[in-house]
Amino acid sequence: MIARCCKILALSFLLAVFVLPAGYVAADDKSDLTVVKDAHFGSDKKSNLTVVKDAHFGEVLFYFYQEDYFPAIVRLLAAQKQTQLENHSDESELLLGGLYLSYGHHQRAAEIFERLLADKVEPEIRDRTWFFLAKIWYQRGYLAEAQAALDKLQNKLDKPLEAERNMLQAQLLIDNRKHDQAIALLEDWSGRNVWSNYAKFNLGVAMVRNGDVNGAASVLNDVGTLRTSNEELNALRDKANLALGYAYLQDGQPNAAKAPLQRVRLEGPFSNKALLGFGWADAENGNFERALVPWMALRNRDLLDSAVQESMLAIPYAMAMLDGVSQAADHYLNAIEAFYEETNRIDEAIVHIESGELLNQFLEQNPQATTGWYWTLEELPEGPDSRYLYHLLATHKFQEGIKNYRDLHYLRRNLDDWQQSVEVFGNMLDTREYAYNERLPRIEESLGQADLDGMVQRKLEFDARLNSIEENRDSLALATKREFDMWGEIAAIERNPALQANVPEAQEVRDKVKLLKGALQWNLDREYKSRLWKVRRDLQQTGEALVETQRSRRKIDEAIRTEPELFADFNTRVNGLSPKIDELKARVELAMDRQSAFMQDIAVEELTAQKERLDTYTIQARFALAAIYDLSASGGEATIGEASQ
Amino acid sequence: MAGALAQDAPILVSDVALENSQTMGAEADQARAEFRSLDEDVQSLKKEVLDLNRDLFLLEEELLFPANSQVAFFISMDVGEYFSLDSVNLKIDGKDVTHYLYTDREAGALLRGGVHRVHMENLKVGDHELVAVFTGKGPSVRDYRRGATMSFNKGIGAKYVELEITDRIKKQQPEFVIKEWE
Repeated sequence: MIARCCKILALSFLLAVFVLPAGYVAADDKSDLTVVKDAHFGSDKKSNLTVVKDAHFGEVLFYFYQEDYFPAIVRLLAAQKQTQLENHSDESELLLGGLYLSYGHHQRAAEIFERLLADKVEPEIRDRTWFFLAKIWYQRGYLAEAQAALDKLQNKLDKPLEAERNMLQAQLLIDNRKHDQAIALLEDWSGRNVWSNYAKFNLGVAMVRNGDVNGAASVLNDVGTLRTSNEELNALRDKANLALGYAYLQDGQPNAAKAPLQRVRLEGPFSNKALLGFGWADAENGNFERALVPWMALRNRDLLDSAVQESMLAIPYAMAMLDGVSQAADHYLNAIEAFYEETNRIDEAIVHIESGELLNQFLEQNPQATTGWYWTLEELPEGPDSRYLYHLLATHKFQEGIKNYRDLHYLRRNLDDWQQSVEVFGNMLDTREYAYNERLPRIEESLGQADLDGMVQRKLEFDARLNSIEENRDSLALATKREFDMWGEIAAIERNPALQANVPEAQEVRDKVKLLKGALQWNLDREYKSRLWKVRRDLQQTGEALVETQRSRRKIDEAIRTEPELFADFNTRVNGLSPKIDELKARVELAMDRQSAFMQDIAVEELTAQKERLDTYTIQARFALAAIYDLSASGGEATIGEASQ
Repeated sequence: MAGALAQDAPILVSDVALENSQTMGAEADQARAEFRSLDEDVQSLKKEVLDLNRDLFLLEEELLFPANSQVAFFISMDVGEYFSLDSVNLKIDGKDVTHYLYTDREAGALLRGGVHRVHMENLKVGDHELVAVFTGKGPSVRDYRRGATMSFNKGIGAKYVELEITDRIKKQQPEFVIKEWE
């Protein structure tokens, strides 16, 4: 158990997990990201503070805070398996759910939330979590699941999120063709914000498609008359006006179309289409001179725009109607030439896309260390096809498809790395096993020579002898070698018969020997205690060393016994994981091919639609030109306008 | 011809509408079903690769740093008002073992409470000395370099050592503390 107390964290880090960009309608929208983010962090509460108590939990957070979700999940799963998160068991499971969600692994996230959200978290966090799950499901086209998740919400969310939730609900109703319910929901909606306006716009478009132009008009007019300085809302207002204007034109109400079209900003991204539509509104009323004014303004704009392409036909048409036949013929010829060149460029772009290079260029341009679901592709790589594909960027199908492809690419790279590592692991194991087998006989020989039992026996004998010395207070037994030798010499002198003679000289020597012996004995007695203590201490240390040696010996014996089992276990794991890597890699590559084909189909479909439109325009231009030539040849210039009609 | 051209206008309406709303009808349902089938495949692969990564991660750790000799060194930060971390240099028993440079993203993650496993080492049972040198920006954004030393005993089993950077508010200086965990 790790006893530490690091940085204080809010338990509601979970909320941070769900900080997602508001790219739901506008994939390139940045402005709301901050709002949502602030809203989340702003809701931290002191009562929810928690403390990092397990280092491995902190390590998961280290990667999580860097938005490296994949390594964060791997570490969390590993730590869970090794029971290294005992102090954070509930939090770690919730964190795992949040990490899965951030990583875009919504199925596993949902499994965890289904299990945990019911009773283990505050209602606020629970509702928020279901909301984000609903959002990710919606974007991935899991409409029923998204609705089920929204149905689980019990209370209102924080303000910005509540608006987004209503938007999501309205969008689900629109997708399920429940327009009346969507209208009712939007009418009940208090406050005008980005989300409600997006919802209204989508609803209006859905109603137009349903044929209810007048019903759509009230909804789209609402968005189209917004007063705002917000650039995002300005763009939405332009879109609403444009959609309404064209809906009126399509419905045969050119006069009604003019007001919304006039509201579109002249320099905005939708001005081309508005100018074209405005011209058509006049043309439908037979006022071709006025129609030419907005159409001529389109002449020098980018031919990529379908409105500019169409204006290239509209201009000669109006000229013909105004009896400017030769000018009309010139314009038709220019249009045919321009459409031809553009069609060739689209063909080149289709070939490039079908070569599969496009997706790789996306990945090269957006090198991501990891795979967060928040990520959106904001720029297309430079290439012949990119100019045709810009509006694909705003679609969920394309964005989510790109994310899946990017994730698969990451998985393949990850598996590649592991494949190399596992090979190294195998070599490492072989080397270790070889070294072990080579050293084992030498080690066993050395161990065989080391008589540990004999050493223990000798130690016990020393113990007994020391006890005996102590019991008998045998100070001579603890004498140094010099003292012992001296004692021997004195004893030998004492035993000399000459010393026993009853002469003064012998008496003198006897006295000296007695003195020497006394001095020696005195020294021995004086040193006895300390010598006894030292010897006992040395003996004790020897005993301890012997115990340690015995323990080491047991460990060596154990290692000799278990090492082959360990090698076998590691080999089984390495050999088992290696084919698993190969199998998964093959499946990932297959999925990449499928995903790539899907993305290519989307892109080619888009380009083909553009090409088909150019083909239609070209045919129309040729027919009109042929009619002009025919009528010119027959001298019936006055009827050219009628022929065009 | 006017009619023919005017009839092209709905294409433009569709273009506008499609940018912000989902394609509708049978075609959309089919595209959605195709996307979903692909997505379910990707989900299943993600699950399997993550589980495999967990097993490989554990295998690698057990193989390279067996539990009985493993020592892991972690870096953490508390508050971080007086110190902005650039790098850490670790020396064990007089030998340089790692020099880690922190990116802004990593330093930010530490500030928010993340704990970084900066180094793993296999050490014998017994006493060892750790010297850690931290470099970065100190108070008043001046270059700052400080060392911390600790002796620790490696027993049987894995050991974790935390190098914690905290703020000493009274002195308005950072403090570098090395702690042992069991």
